[in-house]
Amino acid sequence: MAVPATQLKQVLHQAASPVRFERVTKRFGTVMAVDDVTLKVPAGNLVTLLGPSGCGKTTALRMIAGLEWPTEGRVYIGDEDVTPLPAANRSVTMVFQAYALFPHLTVFENIAYGLRVMRRPHEEIRHRVGEAMSLVGLPGLERRAPAQLSGGQQQRVALARALVMQPKVLLFDEPLSNLDAKLRKRVRADIRMLQQDLGITSIYVTHDQSEALAISDIVVVMNQGRIEQIGTPTDLYRRPASRFVADFIGEANLLPAVVEDGTVRVGSYRFPYRQPGVATGAATLMVRPESVQVGVGGEGLPGRVQTAFFMGTYADYLIETEAGEVSVADPRSVDGIYPMGTEVRLLFSPTALYLLPPGA
Amino acid sequence: MTSSTIAITRPAHAPSMTLLAWGGLALAGGLLLPWFRTGRDLASFVAGTTGIELLGSEPAVAAALVCALLSAILGMLKLPLYRRGQLALVTAAAGCTLVVLALVGHGQPMGPAPVVVFLGFLSLVGVGLSLSGYLRADAFIAASIVWVAVFVVLFILYPLWAVLQASVVVKGRLTLEVFGTVFQSPNFLMINNPYTPRDEIRIAVTFGAVVAAVSGLVAAVLARKLRPVVVWAAGSGIAGLLISALYLGFGAVRNSVLLALVVGVASTGLGFLFALLAERSQLPTRRLLGPISILPIITPPFVLGLAMVYLFGRQGFVTHSVLGMSTTVFSGLLGLSIAQILAYTPIAFLLLQGVVRAMDVALEEASETLGASNWYTLRTVIWPLARPGIANAFLLTVIESLADFGNPVVIGGGKPYLATEVFYAIIGRYNPNEAAVFGVVLLSMTLTIFLIQRYWVGERFYVTVTGRPTHATPRKLPRALDYAVTGVFLVWVLLIVLLYGSIFVGSVTKLWGFDYTFTLAHVKGLSPSGWYVFRTTASLSLIAALPSTALGFLIGYLVTRYSFPGRRALEFSSMLSFAVPGTVMGIGYILAFNQGTLLLTGTELIIIMAFVFRNMPVAIRSGVAAIHQIDRSLEECSTMLRAGSLTTLRRVVAPLVQAALLSGLVFAFVRAMTAVSQVIFLVTPRVNLSTALILSYVEHGSMGRAAALSSVLVVFMAVVIMIMYSVTTRIDARAGRGAQAKP
Ligand SMILES: Nc1ncnc2c1ncn2[C@@H]1O[C@H](COP(=O)(O)OP(=O)(O)O)[C@@H](O)[C@H]1O
Ligand SMILES: [Mg+2]
Repeated sequence: MAVPATQLKQVLHQAASPVRFERVTKRFGTVMAVDDVTLKVPAGNLVTLLGPSGCGKTTALRMIAGLEWPTEGRVYIGDEDVTPLPAANRSVTMVFQAYALFPHLTVFENIAYGLRVMRRPHEEIRHRVGEAMSLVGLPGLERRAPAQLSGGQQQRVALARALVMQPKVLLFDEPLSNLDAKLRKRVRADIRMLQQDLGITSIYVTHDQSEALAISDIVVVMNQGRIEQIGTPTDLYRRPASRFVADFIGEANLLPAVVEDGTVRVGSYRFPYRQPGVATGAATLMVRPESVQVGVGGEGLPGRVQTAFFMGTYADYLIETEAGEVSVADPRSVDGIYPMGTEVRLLFSPTALYLLPPGA
Repeated sequence: MTSSTIAITRPAHAPSMTLLAWGGLALAGGLLLPWFRTGRDLASFVAGTTGIELLGSEPAVAAALVCALLSAILGMLKLPLYRRGQLALVTAAAGCTLVVLALVGHGQPMGPAPVVVFLGFLSLVGVGLSLSGYLRADAFIAASIVWVAVFVVLFILYPLWAVLQASVVVKGRLTLEVFGTVFQSPNFLMINNPYTPRDEIRIAVTFGAVVAAVSGLVAAVLARKLRPVVVWAAGSGIAGLLISALYLGFGAVRNSVLLALVVGVASTGLGFLFALLAERSQLPTRRLLGPISILPIITPPFVLGLAMVYLFGRQGFVTHSVLGMSTTVFSGLLGLSIAQILAYTPIAFLLLQGVVRAMDVALEEASETLGASNWYTLRTVIWPLARPGIANAFLLTVIESLADFGNPVVIGGGKPYLATEVFYAIIGRYNPNEAAVFGVVLLSMTLTIFLIQRYWVGERFYVTVTGRPTHATPRKLPRALDYAVTGVFLVWVLLIVLLYGSIFVGSVTKLWGFDYTFTLAHVKGLSPSGWYVFRTTASLSLIAALPSTALGFLIGYLVTRYSFPGRRALEFSSMLSFAVPGTVMGIGYILAFNQGTLLLTGTELIIIMAFVFRNMPVAIRSGVAAIHQIDRSLEECSTMLRAGSLTTLRRVVAPLVQAALLSGLVFAFVRAMTAVSQVIFLVTPRVNLSTALILSYVEHGSMGRAAALSSVLVVFMAVVIMIMYSVTTRIDARAGRGAQAKP
C-alpha cells in the first residue's frame, strides 16, 4: 500500500474499542432475525459474522451501527451502553455492500462528507482526506465521480470515507460481493493487511466461508438468528461444535461411530483415538475428505468406489461404505486412481478427526 | 488537531439547543405578537391583544406561555436526555391544549401569535418524542411528522368533517331532514317523471327483463350449464334495468352517473387504443401523442367545454356557420360528454401505456406457445393481464368526470349535475346544508370508487406493471389495425386542434357566430382587471407551489423511509384529495373557515391553503417515486457519517431528486393556475382567480374575453412547461453523464 499516514494510523489505533452484545434479540414482526445473541469482540480484532443468507448477520451488524434497534438486550461499544444512541452518535462507520458512494459528489467530497457535516475547518479536511486516501492507496482520483471508478477503486473510496471519521469500530457488510472472483482475493488481502496495520476493531459480514477463514481473527458462525459457534478459523475447521458448522465450513463426512475405551469404531473398522471429554457410546465422527487414505487390502473401513475423478493435485472419490457414503480428496493417488467398482479400504489419519459433541 | 475529534463523548447533560430555541420562539412570539384579529384582514394589528397585555386577563394564554417558558428551561436542566424528552412532551402537549382552549374560549379570529406558539409547541412535541425515545427518529423527523399530521387534519380532514356535519346538523339539531328533502327533490333523482306520458319504471323493467332473457339464452347456448346462465341473466338484467332507468330518468344523480359511465368507457377505450398506438404503431403520427397528452394538464378543465360551445353551440362555427343549423343538441349531456372525453382520454392514455407494455410480453409468450387460437389467447392471457390496468383507468376517469365542475357549468345545458348542484345550492340558493348533502352524496361515490381503485385494482395493477423489462423491439400492430387506430387518433387530433384553434381565434374575433372580423378588443379588454387577476393567480399559485411540493416530498419521504404510529392513516388522508371532488373540498373550506377562531375566508391565505392541499398528493406520488429510486443505504451511510436527517435530506436526497422536485414544483404551479372547483367558492372580488373570472365572463356573455383570457392561460402554461422540460432534461443529462462513465 501507499505512503504510510502515521497520524491517522495512530489515532485509529487508539480509538479501537471492543464491542459487546448482551443477550440481543431482534424481531421483525414474527421473524426472529437475531435470537438471544451474546458476543464479545476484542478491541483491534477482525471478527466475521458468517452464515447462510437470511441468518441475521446484516441485522446484527446494523444493530451495532445503530440503524436497527434490538427488541431485547443491550449493545456496548467500549464501556458505553450504546443501545439508545442513534447511529450518528456511535463513532462507528460502515462499508456498505454496494458501497453507497454519493453519486453526485466527487471522490474527495465523498470522503470529506462526514468531516463537512461536522463542520471541520477546510485545512483539516484537506489534510485528513489526503491521509485517508493515501492510506487506502487512491492517489490522484480526487476529482473523479464515483461512477468513473472501477469496482475496486469504489470500494477503497468507501473504505477511506469510513476511516477518515476515525471510528471506534469499522463495519463491513459483504464488501466483496460486487467484485469479480479474481479481484475479490486481492481486495480481501488488502483489507486484512490494512486492518492489522491499523489495529482497528472490525466486524465483517459474509456468507462465504473461505473469505471468513482467510481474513478473520475470530469467526462467529450464525444460523437462523442464533450463534452456532465462535472460534478461530482453525478451531472451526478442526473442532466444529455442530453438524451445521462442520458442514458449512469446508466439506465434512459425518459418520455414525461408537466410542469405546481408547478406541473408536466406524462400521467394522476400529482404530485407536482419544478425545478428551467424550463419553463412551454412540457418537458422530467428522472426517475431512483430505484426511482419508484410500488403499487396497489391509486394515481400514471397507468400501467400494462409486465415482472417481482425477482432479490434478488430488483424486476425488465418492466411496460407498457400511457407514454411509464417504467423500475423499486423496492427494497421494496422483499417479493412478482406483477405478469405479474397486473394493478399497479407508484409513483415517487420527490428527484430523473430531468427534462431535453428542446432540450436536 | 486530529486527535481532538476522537473522543466525542458528549456530556450527557449538555443543554439541548432545540428545546431552548423552540421554547424561546414560542415564548417570544406569544408575548410580542397579537393573539386576535377583529376582521378578516390577516395583517390587522389589534392593539391590546399581545401576550404581554393578555397575561393578566386571559389565564389560558398566560398558562400556555408558562409552558413555553418551562420547555425552554428544560433545555438547560441537568437531566438525562430521555427524561428531558418526556418532560418536554408533557409541557408541550399541555401548551397545545392551552392554546386551543384560549382560542376557543375567546372565539375571535386568531392572530399570528397563536400560530407561532402552537407550531412551536408542535415542534417541541416532536423533539420530546424523539428525545424520550418514543419515536425512533431524530428531532427533525419527529417534528415533521407532528406538523404534517396536524396540517393534514386541519386542512383535509376537518373541512370534510365540516361537510358531513352540515349535512346532518341544522341549527344545532341532528337531523336527516335535509337528506330527505334533497333525495325527494326532482333535481336530485327522479326515475319516474309524472309529467311525461310514459311510465319510465315499467319501460326500464321491461328492458331489463328482455336483456336478461337474451343474455341468458346466449349463455345457455354457449355454456350449457345452469350456473353461467343464471349469473349472466341476472347480471346483465340488473345492469340493463339500471342503465335504462338512468337513461330515462332525470336529476343530478342520473346526469352525473350516466355522464361518468359514458366518459369512463369512452376515455378508457380511446386511451387504450392510443396506448397501443404509442407503443406499437409503425406510423410517425404516434410521436404526436406525447405533446398532446400534456394538453389537459395546461388547460383549465372547462376550456374544452368553452370551445365546444364555439364550434357546436347554437351559434357554433360548425353547426351554424358551416352547416346552417341552429341546434342546442350539443349543449347538454352530449356536448358535455364529448368535452370530457377529449379532456380525460390523455389521462387514461398515460395510465394505460404501462399496461400495453406489459401486454406485449404476454403476447409474445402466448404466440410462442403452440396451437392457442387468437381468441383464446386474448381471453386467457392478454385480458387477465390488462384487466386491472383498464379497470384502474376506467375508475380514475369516472372519478374525474363525476368531480368535474367547469365543463357542466359551461355546456351542461342548465341541467343539474352533482358537482354543480353543490355550488348552486350554496351560491344560488344560499343553503349550505343542501350543498353539504349533495357534497356527501358525491363524495361517497368518488370515495367508494377510490377505495375500489386503491385496494382492489391498484395493488394488482402495480404488480403487473412494475418490474417488467421494457422490450427493445415491441411487436408491431397489424397494418390494418394500425391504420384504423391512427385514423381514430387523427380525428381526435383534428377535433383538438379545432377546439383549441377556436379559442385562440375566438379571442381575436369580434362577435363569434355573427361577426367574424378581426379585433384586439377582447385582449385589450382584459386590462386592467383581467391582467390584475391573472397576476394574482400566478403569484398565489407560485406561493402555493413551494409548500405543496415541499410538503408532498416530505410526506413521501416520511412514509417510505420511516415507520411510526399512524403512518398508514397519514398516507391515506394525505392522498384523499385524489378522491375528494374539488367542489366538496371547496364547500368544506367555506364551512370550516368561515367563522370563529379559524376565520380565513376572503383572504389570500385560504386560497393558498386550498392550492397547497389540493396539489400535495401529486407531489407525494412523484416524491415517493423519486425516493424509491434512491438506494436506502446512501441515507444510512450519511447518518453513520454523523449527519442528522435534515442534513441528509439537504445534502444527499435533495440533489438526487432535483429533477423530480423541479417538475413537481412546476406541476403544482400549473395545477393551481388551472384549478377551478375547489377555489370557486373562495374567490372574492378582491381576491379573484383567472379561472373564476373566465367563468364569470362566460356567465355574463363576454365570450370573447373568456376566450382571450383562456388563450393567455394556455400559452403561458405551455411556455412554463416547455422551459421546465428543457431544464429537467439538462439536469438528467448531467446526472446521466456521471453515471454513464463507468469503465
Ligand atoms: N427491515 C426488515 N423487515 C422485516 N424483516 C427483515 C428486515 N430486515 C431483515 N429481515 C429479515 O430478518 C432475517 C435476517 O435478515 P438479514 O439480517 O438481512 O440476513 P443476512 O444478512 O444474514 O442474509 C431475514 O429473514 C429477513 O427477511
Ligand atoms: Mg445480508
